[in-house]
Amino acid sequence: MIGLPAHFSRRSLTRRQILQTSAAIASGMVLSGCGWTLAEVRPALSKGNKDDLSIYTWESYIDPQLTETFHTQTGINITADIYDSNETMLATFQTGKGAIYSVIYPSDYKVAEMIEKKLLSQLDHSRISGLENLLPEFQNSVYDPGNQHSVPISWGTTGLIYNTDALNPGPEDWQDLWQMQQPLNRKMTLLADVREVMGATLKSLGHSYNSTNPTEIKQAYEKLVQLKPAVTTFTTDAWRDRLLAGDLLLSMAYSADAVRLIQENPDAKLRYVIPRSGTSLWSDTMVIPTTSPNPDAAYAWINFMMQPSVAADVTQRLFFATPNQAAYDQLPAPLRNNRSLFPSDEVIKACERIIPLDAKVTELYDQYWTKLTSG
Amino acid sequence: MTNPSHPIANQPDSQVKPTWLQPLLMLAPAGVWLALLLVVPTLLIFELSLVPGIRPGQVVNPSGLDNYLRIVQPDYFPVLGRSLFFSIGTTLACLILGFPVAYWIALKVPHRWQNLVLLGFVLPLWTSSLLRSYAWITILRPTGVLNTILSKIGIPPLDILNRESAVLIGMTYSMLPYMVLILYAALEKLDRQLLEAASDLGATPPQAFWKVTVPQSLTGIAAGSLLVFITSMGDFVNPEILGGASSMTVARLIYNQFLGATQNWGFGSALSMVLILVVSIAIALLLKYGDRSAAGGV
Repeated sequence: MIGLPAHFSRRSLTRRQILQTSAAIASGMVLSGCGWTLAEVRPALSKGNKDDLSIYTWESYIDPQLTETFHTQTGINITADIYDSNETMLATFQTGKGAIYSVIYPSDYKVAEMIEKKLLSQLDHSRISGLENLLPEFQNSVYDPGNQHSVPISWGTTGLIYNTDALNPGPEDWQDLWQMQQPLNRKMTLLADVREVMGATLKSLGHSYNSTNPTEIKQAYEKLVQLKPAVTTFTTDAWRDRLLAGDLLLSMAYSADAVRLIQENPDAKLRYVIPRSGTSLWSDTMVIPTTSPNPDAAYAWINFMMQPSVAADVTQRLFFATPNQAAYDQLPAPLRNNRSLFPSDEVIKACERIIPLDAKVTELYDQYWTKLTSG
Repeated sequence: MTNPSHPIANQPDSQVKPTWLQPLLMLAPAGVWLALLLVVPTLLIFELSLVPGIRPGQVVNPSGLDNYLRIVQPDYFPVLGRSLFFSIGTTLACLILGFPVAYWIALKVPHRWQNLVLLGFVLPLWTSSLLRSYAWITILRPTGVLNTILSKIGIPPLDILNRESAVLIGMTYSMLPYMVLILYAALEKLDRQLLEAASDLGATPPQAFWKVTVPQSLTGIAAGSLLVFITSMGDFVNPEILGGASSMTVARLIYNQFLGATQNWGFGSALSMVLILVVSIAIALLLKYGDRSAAGGV
């Protein structure tokens, strides 16, 4: 939860906006041929005040200090709305509400999807400085080659955070979870994300995180069924307090969340480990939707976040790994050498990015997920 | 032969209009509201449910019942079963816990205090349901409030959180005020002279309760139970937050279809239609057997 400083305003719709929104919703039902097209809503274009910038982002990526510094530097007021999953973001964005946002923070695979849906504007690289500071692998990514539509803001891994007092030695790989079922019994949570949980299991079987092979997927499901009695619940967020309190001994988590919890609670005996056989590698980006009411302010924000000093400051305060080499060099040594935040190249090589799969395979994953969580 | 002039023929038109149409102007805003925000969306969902595997951006081209056939696959029985289990369990728990409370308020509490006591009971409804569910995490977790108290008095800790019992506790807590309100409305109208007569004629208090009180409040019991059942069927928050690794319910499955990775709005719509159907049957039963005045009193 972030505090709202004075220049934060709770967003209330004006009548004009309501009219635009309803027009946008109506336009979502485009008649085509014998049917209508579902929810392909183009948020209506709206003209924004040049001193207001609306951002749609993850909870951990923005705080009052950041928006105040930006306000001092540029005079632009930030309104930030928060989402907790890429799917929620896209659904909200497409229902017409997206028209108010000038900057959004989709993850890698969602960038690819949004490019395909033509929701993102092509970035004018001459208006962004510091792109050359990005690490080489972030200058030419698979989801958006050449950063045509997106600028990476953070990256990380999916791994395990555990209580080092209770688990000694702790797990080093996904496979260890199955071996440690006894001590972990009902004291472990996994992410509430079908692709991450199935992917990790696939990896433990020696397959790809992105397997499309029905036999392999079934094999992973069957292996997960064995682990399930030990799993308390599937959750992406509700593990922090309980891990600190000792109710949980281990949680599958994103590195940014885990590192932040460890840094903020130095007394807690917690450790984050990236499984040896590899895990998923993710990055979150900043994009400007085609409907952006204030592209100038959006470029100002992206440039602001690209400043090495700002990126380094944010990494130290909010604990997410920056893909900005110049910012990395400015970090204090302990953070720079934090292998949970910045794993070695060797570890990264074993990792894969989660890529969007076609509808049929996604459906298969979802069916196994339903079976897993209802059986 | 000439036609005798009809007495009504000369009267102004307005008087011929049927009386039930007269309040049309006053009803129109609510009617438009209902049509636009309930009837049309429900019809759209129904249309979507006829398109197999439709995702946002695709053309809606209804082609059959594939989505419905998928629901009757054995894979989804446990999901429907769990939803029914949670709803029926919550209904029974609310009835067992709520009846004594409603009885006490309606028959024992002095009249001038009744509203205050009722208000006290409804007060929890004024906070967000999400917040109330999170509060249960703090209470039920292994090192939480409940187990701290239990260990103080020497009782071994309970592992309740992320089990079905936790979901039932959370849902019962959410729904109990509704049940109490409706039962109170029914019990308040109880004819006490009948109870006196029963006692005069030699009935023991339990006999009087089962043969006089319960039959008289049956419509209230039906109304309260059905309302709790209907609301529980659609509950998303409690199973999501308090449930464990096996707490997939119909409401959560629908959420997954719309906002999850598959984005299968067709299947999600079919599931929604089935949920609407189950709830409609419950409402039909409510209208037939329930105490309408009690149900309307909420």
